[in-house]
Amino acid sequence: MPVITLILLGSILLLPAAALLSLRWASRSGQLGRFDRAALLPFDEEEPVGRATDQILGDNRR
Amino acid sequence: MSSTTASKTLQAILPGDFSNEDFRRAKLAEIDASCRTPVLFFFVSGLLWLLAGTLFALVASIKLHTPGFLAGWESLTFGIVRTVHLNTVVYGFCSQAAVGVAIWLMCRLCRVPLVAPGIVTVANLFYNVGVTIGIGGILAGDSTGIEWLEMPRYATPILFVSYALIAVWTIITFRLRAERHLYVSQWYLLAAVLWFPWLYGTAQVMLIIEPVRGVVQAAVNWWFAHNVLGLWFTPIGLAAIYYFIPKVIGRPIHSYYLSVLGFWSLALFYNWNGMHHLVGGPMPAWMITISIVASVMMLIPVLTVAINHHSTMIGHFGKLRHSPTLRFIVFGAVSYTLASLQGVLSALRSFSEVAHFTHHTVAHAHLGMYAFFAMVMFGSMYYILPRITGREWPSNALISIHFWGVAIGIVLYVVVLSGAGFQQGRMMNDPTVKFLDVVKFTIPYLQIRTASGLLMAVGHVAFFVNFGWLLVRMFAPYRKPVVSILAGAEIASPSGK
Amino acid sequence: MSYGPLLFLGILFTLASSWVGLVLMPQRQLGALGQHTDTNTAAIYPQARGGEAQQGAEHYRALGCVYCHTQQVRPEGYGADIARGWGRRRTVSRDYIHDKPVMLGTMRTGPDLTNIGERQSDYSWHYKHLYNPQITSAGSVMPPYPFLFETRPIGPTGPSTNALALEGAFAPAAGHEVVPTLRARQLVEYLRSLKSSGDLPEAPLKKEEAQ
Repeated sequence: MPVITLILLGSILLLPAAALLSLRWASRSGQLGRFDRAALLPFDEEEPVGRATDQILGDNRR
Repeated sequence: MSSTTASKTLQAILPGDFSNEDFRRAKLAEIDASCRTPVLFFFVSGLLWLLAGTLFALVASIKLHTPGFLAGWESLTFGIVRTVHLNTVVYGFCSQAAVGVAIWLMCRLCRVPLVAPGIVTVANLFYNVGVTIGIGGILAGDSTGIEWLEMPRYATPILFVSYALIAVWTIITFRLRAERHLYVSQWYLLAAVLWFPWLYGTAQVMLIIEPVRGVVQAAVNWWFAHNVLGLWFTPIGLAAIYYFIPKVIGRPIHSYYLSVLGFWSLALFYNWNGMHHLVGGPMPAWMITISIVASVMMLIPVLTVAINHHSTMIGHFGKLRHSPTLRFIVFGAVSYTLASLQGVLSALRSFSEVAHFTHHTVAHAHLGMYAFFAMVMFGSMYYILPRITGREWPSNALISIHFWGVAIGIVLYVVVLSGAGFQQGRMMNDPTVKFLDVVKFTIPYLQIRTASGLLMAVGHVAFFVNFGWLLVRMFAPYRKPVVSILAGAEIASPSGK
Repeated sequence: MSYGPLLFLGILFTLASSWVGLVLMPQRQLGALGQHTDTNTAAIYPQARGGEAQQGAEHYRALGCVYCHTQQVRPEGYGADIARGWGRRRTVSRDYIHDKPVMLGTMRTGPDLTNIGERQSDYSWHYKHLYNPQITSAGSVMPPYPFLFETRPIGPTGPSTNALALEGAFAPAAGHEVVPTLRARQLVEYLRSLKSSGDLPEAPLKKEEAQ
């Protein structure tokens, strides 16, 4: 069997298997906990949620 | 050390005319300042390439309805000018703007200053040398003749080294991050910088250094060319949209879980799309079919992203009036949805039978690369530049000219050429219509295209003037503005100072 | 919590999938595709191009002809490629095994050129068309290529044999003639060599045409 066929067949089996295994590993070691807190990452104490930025056109510019 | 402590220390040291706001901004300002030199280099050189690319675009556009225009100059023949236009705007402008935005975003989201920014600046210089040699090579007739990969082989290794350096630096910044949580923009950025050198390297080796046989070249070509948009520009554009919409309106993204679905479905399906450029071509049917299936699957990430962004914006559309960033970004986000839906449609065999090989495809490419990606880059630059230079945009009028010029220009372009292209395809598929009559049919629409190109050129010049003015101010002595745009909306009035 | 490694693996696996599927698989299926020898006539198809025509392909590439002209014929019933006379059969992978680079093209601002060598074999038509397309195809948007020709004074022995027969507005100044340069000659050899009409098992010609 040509080498390239082996690579192809191997990767068809290995890629999804590796994907599933790494997902299981990440989930078991708690890496996916409190996942959606990341939505707050663009904000910090300097520019918290609720503060608009870049309001420079129109009435706001004096 | 938290920023509050930093502020207090600074307040003790520095006397005089600084408000609490200045001190509260100390940490963000430090991150912004660390990116200043490399990001400015990427933006300035990108913008210069954009102006060059606009000029080449206009020449190419005029030539397509007035073929005698500048016909005696070999280096300016249509096939070369058009190619130079593509390469200057794609590799000169879009890629450099993308890298500038990616670096700044990565530092901000990782909450760390850029380490050794000098390396990134060197990567930029390398990159520009590579693009200059590549463009010069195309003008001299050394184009490889492979779409999206025309730069000759003596230029591309320089670009590859530069891309690799940028990828390594992005990953280093990521590894050094001070914030353990990951925002969706960081996924897109990390993916883009890892995917692109792989794509570029594969394409260079299999098409230019050691070309594969026959139509395998076409397969590799379109696997690459579609993924340049799908896996390099799109992720960086989406990263910017995911950051700037929440940032400008001050509200977190509507659903973080939807953004997860959007990212992984894009990663799974987009990279299988390329062969839909070869529908009807001399390829085995399975290749084309698998790409058509994957193209239709793109409905999942596209609609996910569209719903998520729209739901975030609801109730905040009024802010479009005040924020140039939001205007450009929302324009880009809407165009992304439209471009993707048009892309799904164009991939179908029945639609492709008509629209393939026509100006409809050209319009589609500009809807993706310009109305989506370039607009998002403009919006990002409007946000980033004042923050890294510490200066405000000098002219609001120029911002408006930029926005309306390019917005009207690109809408006109896409609407007119999409429609005309479809009709062109219908005429071509009717063998009773003479081919020359199809050509003559398109000419008025190509003239409108030139007019829309002029509108966009006006916008670009306005942006260039405003940008240059900002840089002049940067090097001039600093005078503290009465009202700082760098602060948020609600503190826009001077408080007690 | 951080899931950096998971993200990293996911990013690599997703692109690896299409790299295997759309790069390695086509290479495996078509990367060693060879010529076909007809069992009855012993004709070998496709033949490699001659030197002049191969040089011409380089000019075709450098001048960017591919951006307005495709070299692919779609199957009968899908578009009007065959009805327009651009080919007698669809093109298939084997037609392109000698091409470096393969210039399939994605745009038909001008007509398809897969079989231009069959459709138009007249040298003088090609020269005039390249010198200024308005001579042969008035209203075309194809650019003229005057730099592929030399305009020179007619020598003492009279006009050159390969001078273009130009009339009216296209004629050069009195006492001058327009002759094709080496590049123009090579480019026309290339155009005349463009024929994808071999009878292949995967793309047979119709019986009456194949003879």
